[in-house]
Amino acid sequence: MKFKLNLVTLALLASAGAVAPSIAMADGYGIQNANTDKVKFEKWDCKRCAVETGYSGSIGVGVGYNDSDDIHSANAFAAEDEFAGKVDADLKYSGKSGYQASIEADNLGMENGSADINVGKAGQYNLNLNYRQIATYKTDSAMSPYQGVGSDDLTLPGDWVHAGSTQDMTNLNASLNPLELSLKRKRAGLGIEYQGESLWSTHINYMREDKTGLKQASGSFYNQSMMIAEPVDYTTDTLDAGVRFSGDNWFTALNYNGSMFKNAYSELSYDNAFSPTFGAQTTGYMSLDPDNEAHTVSLMGQYVAGKTIMNGRVHYGQMTQDQDFNTSGYGYQMPSESLDGKVETTGATLKVVSRINRQLRLNASYDYNDRDNQTNVQEWTQISIDSTTGQAAYNTPYDITTHKAKLGADYRLARGHKLEGGFDYRKDERSYQDRETTEESTVWAKYRISAFDKWDMWVKGSYGERDGSEYQASEWTSGESNDLLRKYNLADRKRTQVEARVTHSPIETLTIDFGARYALDDYSETEIGLTESKDISYDASVSYLLTEDMTLTAFYNRQNIDSEQAGSSNLSTPNWFGVVEDQVDVIGAGYSYNNLMEKKLRLGVDYTYSDSNSNTQVTQGITGDYGDYYAKVHNVNVYALYRATDKMDVRIDYKMEKYKDNDAGNDIAPDGIWNVLSFGSNSHDYNAHLIMLSMSYRL
Amino acid sequence: MKITKKLKTLLPALVASAVLSLGFAQTAVASKWDAKMSPDEVEATLDKKFAEGQYSPKGADSCLMCHRKSEKVMDIFNGVHGSVDSSKSPMAGLQCEACHGPMGKHNRGGNEPMIAFGPDSTLAAEKQNSVCMSCHKDDKRMDWNGGHHDNADIACASCHSVHTAKDPVLSKNTEMEVCTSCHTKQKADMNKRSSHPMKWAQMVCSDCHNPHGTMSDSDLVKPSVNDTCYSCHAEKRGPKLWEHAPVTENCVTCHNPHGSVNEGMLKTRAPQLCQQCHASPHSGQPQFGNTEQGSTVGGNAFTGGRSCLNCHNQIHGSNHPSGKLFQR
Repeated sequence: MKFKLNLVTLALLASAGAVAPSIAMADGYGIQNANTDKVKFEKWDCKRCAVETGYSGSIGVGVGYNDSDDIHSANAFAAEDEFAGKVDADLKYSGKSGYQASIEADNLGMENGSADINVGKAGQYNLNLNYRQIATYKTDSAMSPYQGVGSDDLTLPGDWVHAGSTQDMTNLNASLNPLELSLKRKRAGLGIEYQGESLWSTHINYMREDKTGLKQASGSFYNQSMMIAEPVDYTTDTLDAGVRFSGDNWFTALNYNGSMFKNAYSELSYDNAFSPTFGAQTTGYMSLDPDNEAHTVSLMGQYVAGKTIMNGRVHYGQMTQDQDFNTSGYGYQMPSESLDGKVETTGATLKVVSRINRQLRLNASYDYNDRDNQTNVQEWTQISIDSTTGQAAYNTPYDITTHKAKLGADYRLARGHKLEGGFDYRKDERSYQDRETTEESTVWAKYRISAFDKWDMWVKGSYGERDGSEYQASEWTSGESNDLLRKYNLADRKRTQVEARVTHSPIETLTIDFGARYALDDYSETEIGLTESKDISYDASVSYLLTEDMTLTAFYNRQNIDSEQAGSSNLSTPNWFGVVEDQVDVIGAGYSYNNLMEKKLRLGVDYTYSDSNSNTQVTQGITGDYGDYYAKVHNVNVYALYRATDKMDVRIDYKMEKYKDNDAGNDIAPDGIWNVLSFGSNSHDYNAHLIMLSMSYRL
Repeated sequence: MKITKKLKTLLPALVASAVLSLGFAQTAVASKWDAKMSPDEVEATLDKKFAEGQYSPKGADSCLMCHRKSEKVMDIFNGVHGSVDSSKSPMAGLQCEACHGPMGKHNRGGNEPMIAFGPDSTLAAEKQNSVCMSCHKDDKRMDWNGGHHDNADIACASCHSVHTAKDPVLSKNTEMEVCTSCHTKQKADMNKRSSHPMKWAQMVCSDCHNPHGTMSDSDLVKPSVNDTCYSCHAEKRGPKLWEHAPVTENCVTCHNPHGSVNEGMLKTRAPQLCQQCHASPHSGQPQFGNTEQGSTVGGNAFTGGRSCLNCHNQIHGSNHPSGKLFQR
């Protein structure tokens, strides 16, 4: 209903905009409001306008030597091998009458390379070609006895000794081979943009992304599990097209976005490393992410009526998935061969900002979002994974509807004093959940003082309460669950947040900045589940221009996140408690010295250190802890840039990463747990270095 | 506007270290008239001048009589704003005065205020921005007014430069530094044990957020958190036969996309994370980890390895007919 209403409102706004007289943009110096009556344009020759045509920019190449014994360092260095090469370019061609072309390349040839080519005529059309790569690395020493890694069929060696316990798999150590868990995205895109003489413009962008690599997965039989490498070979095509129309005081855009996802693998099969138990299964099958499509159409518009700006957006989307089910090893009747899954998303947003006077501005918004999963509810027989026989289960297509409303105001008490405040309301309605409806109301205020010379400071506080309809803990759970459980995304919650920040510039060239934050989530009505979460952090930074040629920056951050939860070992009142304490320190510093050696040399160094630490404790009479869980990372980048000739720059970069992490729960041998055949310890401890020499040539 | 002065000291260093060149950005200096007039007087004068419309006799040629000696001024002609061939460029219209306002009597010694931009301008950000916004009106910027950065009085020119061939903030490396110079929490987040690859600028803030504002929460580029995530993680979109409701509802129920002390950007590790919502006889038992009684955190399937995910691997949903418990 509201969707329709807003669509009508928007249509009205759009049509009103087309005929309404040109009204000023809210208070300012907008070009539309310029009083040009007296301008004698015939005398404006722009003779001194020094628009140059031809080629400009620079192109560079670099070679690097990478010294690392852990592929994890490639996250920082974007280099997998001992030697690395790259091309950088920033070239531009400006022709007569606005024709232009540019080529930008950044680290091309490295694992994080990107390139962007544009050809067109200024203000009229542009053709864009782009490429971008993103690579992330987890480890290259995950140990696995499986053969066929990288394919969708993982088998054990012919002489594998099945056993009830990992320790009795006598051929395990002889069969282990290292594998690399890393993922690489390669994106290539093509885009065209055209701007009409006035009023309208249109664009169409296409992008294909290939994502390949291996990710960690687990295959299980009853209570026994094996870590396996899931092949990733995804192709996603994205099409984005739109048309925009605008006038002096209105604007509207119609956009389409389509995304087609394809997975080269639909299923992963894996041999059972253990002696078969229930169902005597020797091979397991896992469904991999199915092909799917999503299409969204959105219409948005803006109308400016004097000092009031109204924005609206409506969107409608469909997500569909209809890949054939994998039935290997599944001997039951199915209600259909594929899901024919379909989700409709609908949204509408209306936002109004109005400047009442020089001091006061009001804003209000309403947002409606609906996810309607129209997939059929059917009966699906579940393979028995324990001693109970195969049971029937019904899928529960998830629907959620969200309403959000916001009211706010900002008020300038005086120059340099600004008070803001607002009220946010949100209501969520969900299907098949312990709680059908949750409602949250939040009030907030912010006060900023910039009136004092050399000082700028603000403080912001907010308080929100969430509650909702009756909580029925076991309504949709198939098995028995504790009635006192309150899932934290549905539970009653009181959220308090305070943040303050002070920026001080004692002298023109020095800025000191300090900020602190406090956030408390109190799940006051929760007995079982997450009961409290507290997040406190502060940071300080300095940025100092010591001389005209010397810059110094420094940064420090400390954050503590503590959460508390409660459980019950006998499905009753809480009798065990868990505490998780996270602590993070981040230190950064940078120094650069410019114009050395007759203004030919620049030196710089950047350093970052981070220490992420987490500590978990569980208490029920006795107290246990989860051991060390940390990551300590030092990064250094030293560089020197030398202007060798007028045309040529030489740069040398030295990068160092000292990385150490641990995870006590995974600091184990492949047979360290009797019923989990693991990848072995996946902790890192390395020093890696990269030296890169690059040259760039200016046109 | 002082909040953005940080950028003034930061940007020159960034520009030089991010690109392979010795191009040195110049720092702006306060305008001549600021010594003699209060900010209110400057603004009142500018309002009056703008309404009167006393533009120069010869456009840019009048301005460049004095200003052509400044390299920075002349750099306008290296960028799109100085293009005389595009009908959409200010240089093809009211030229310098399209942005800086009518000259009036400014040419008599430069004492009369002109519209000035950037961190050193005393003119209210909203007024500065009204100039930029009058042309830059499209679906990526229409939500500026009332948005996060507008409310924080950020001037367009605090981050952007137009008197240049290439606006430095549009480079990925500079972008990260500029955003995190104010968003320090996120700066710390991206240095944590796990995060999206932002520390090395493989991903940048603007991949997910639009700094000019959107109609979505947190100025996300898509209507919802999940839509934003799906634009790179399309495999999680489904719909799958068996959905895990909090996953379908909101990725940030379990993940912090800016970074976390835990692997996988999880807010809490398994089994604690799972036990915050699951309390059956199977899932509700205390898992102690290392105790004096001899149990170890890496010694059993409940806390060791991947914990709950040792079996419930398909935690983002399963499309297997027998996948209700997310095991296959």
